[in-house]
Amino acid sequence: MLSRYVQAYNEAVFETDKQAALAVVNGALQDGYSPEDIVFNLVIPAVEAMMARIEQDPDSNLAQHFMTAQIASEVTERMLEKFASAPETIGKVVIGAAYGDLHSLGKRIVIGCLKSLMVDVIDLGINISAEQFVDGAVDNDAQVIAISAMMVHTAIGENGSIKVRSLLKERGLENKIKLAVGGAPYRFDPELYKKVGADVWAPDGVTAAKVIIQLIKEVSP
Amino acid sequence: MTPLEILAAAKYGAPAPRIPIFCNLFDQGARELDMRAQDYFARGDCVAEAQLQMLKRFGHDNVWSLHYVGKEAELLGCKKILFADDGVPNVEDFVIKNWDDIAKFEVPTDITQQQAWQAIADCLSILRTEIGQTHAICAYVTASTTLPALLMGMDNWMELFLTGPADLRDELLRKCVDFVHQHINALRAAGANVLMYSTPFGSPYFVGNKIIEEIVLPWMKLDLLPGGVADVVYYCGMAPFNGVIDLAFDQLGITSHYISPLADLAEAKRLIDTRGLTCGVIDDIKMIHWTEAEIKSEVKRIIEIGKQGGHFLFGNGVMPLAVPEANIKAMITAAFDYGQLT
Repeated sequence: MLSRYVQAYNEAVFETDKQAALAVVNGALQDGYSPEDIVFNLVIPAVEAMMARIEQDPDSNLAQHFMTAQIASEVTERMLEKFASAPETIGKVVIGAAYGDLHSLGKRIVIGCLKSLMVDVIDLGINISAEQFVDGAVDNDAQVIAISAMMVHTAIGENGSIKVRSLLKERGLENKIKLAVGGAPYRFDPELYKKVGADVWAPDGVTAAKVIIQLIKEVSP
Repeated sequence: MTPLEILAAAKYGAPAPRIPIFCNLFDQGARELDMRAQDYFARGDCVAEAQLQMLKRFGHDNVWSLHYVGKEAELLGCKKILFADDGVPNVEDFVIKNWDDIAKFEVPTDITQQQAWQAIADCLSILRTEIGQTHAICAYVTASTTLPALLMGMDNWMELFLTGPADLRDELLRKCVDFVHQHINALRAAGANVLMYSTPFGSPYFVGNKIIEEIVLPWMKLDLLPGGVADVVYYCGMAPFNGVIDLAFDQLGITSHYISPLADLAEAKRLIDTRGLTCGVIDDIKMIHWTEAEIKSEVKRIIEIGKQGGHFLFGNGVMPLAVPEANIKAMITAAFDYGQLT
């Protein structure tokens, strides 16, 4: 029933037209669809469709990824306030920018997509130490640690993912907590994630949400 | 021929013994002089001395006046840079913390009077005296449409750029254009003879073609009004931009293009052809783990694509500190071997 809205919503997002996307959502609400319908049958399918579109179209751009995340998280947040009962989340992720890294755009895209896909996200911020990542994951019962690194030295440095992997091993947490990485250096060397001890990487923020959800499913009983 | 003459020959299609070979070594200077990064970058004379030492050892064709990209933010009031001894400095203090700050944000009337300019001036003065007549002295100019990312963070700028009020966005961009004009004039006056015009928002990897044509290009035109574009190189911060090469020629008149390692170099070379200079760029992040043989093979591949028909330069990106010196040497040696034209 909502399929025509999904298409119109995604076209607006792909054109990075936030007002048009919000108008589609408002139109669906006025037509009598519930907040639950909007999230589960419009926003989530739209984000998933965008993931598929990005996978097929390597020329999709950063602005489209940003708008996908921003609009989806904004609409989801608005709708959640109106839900009859709180929805079940599919897992927990702690996310942050690597130690010494102050960039937050990539992280923000991943967070927006994950939240709209019903993943509980704990944002640790920027310039996060390996200990903070691991302690944050343990304290919050998170299944995944996601680390964004936009510079080579923060991606491959001894205080980044390499140390997180080492701490997970040392504390016997490798089967319970998985490690995902992303950021520019990984795009230039797609094998780099293995060298820093990560389980997965993603070339963009929207795809990162997809691979993180797969990791959650691997860890969750 | 001097390296500068070889560069001009490549650009205009004149005979030369070899292609120009650029090697960008920013953070290696501190290690060269055995200094902490923060101390090194505070001294323009040290930045110049280290570059001249490395130039002598490696034999490439260019040096840089750029200390680090955040320098532009410092010229505009940024008070804190996060230095690292194993990599690139980061802007830690954003000049524009919220949209209300845009109205209060002012570009200095003369950026060369700012304390942050002194190290650049000292560096360029030495480079111009020592090799100004023979080598390319490169400078880095961030485009007005990208500069706000250094002032307020990329995500906050992306949000304002895509969804904020157009009048507020344009107010900030007008101020940034004012800075770009001053910056270009000051760099040229101090001796820079190649301007790397860094314009990531001019790449379809960042925003769609419609936005580039309708919003980004008009601001780039304004940026580049003073002094022409003969010494300007189109560069998108290592993002691909083959799709806008024709626009850069037609709308901006820029004829030199620094192609992303993620782009199709053969396509870029076909698009640029003999109209200008194609700069083929090696993926120097992969050079961290490549063997010398792998580097040699990649340099050969790039130069074989580019050097047919001339109008070609070989270069690298930002050469991470983790790349072993032997690999840098292997890259330059291979570029000289495969880049011979006679």
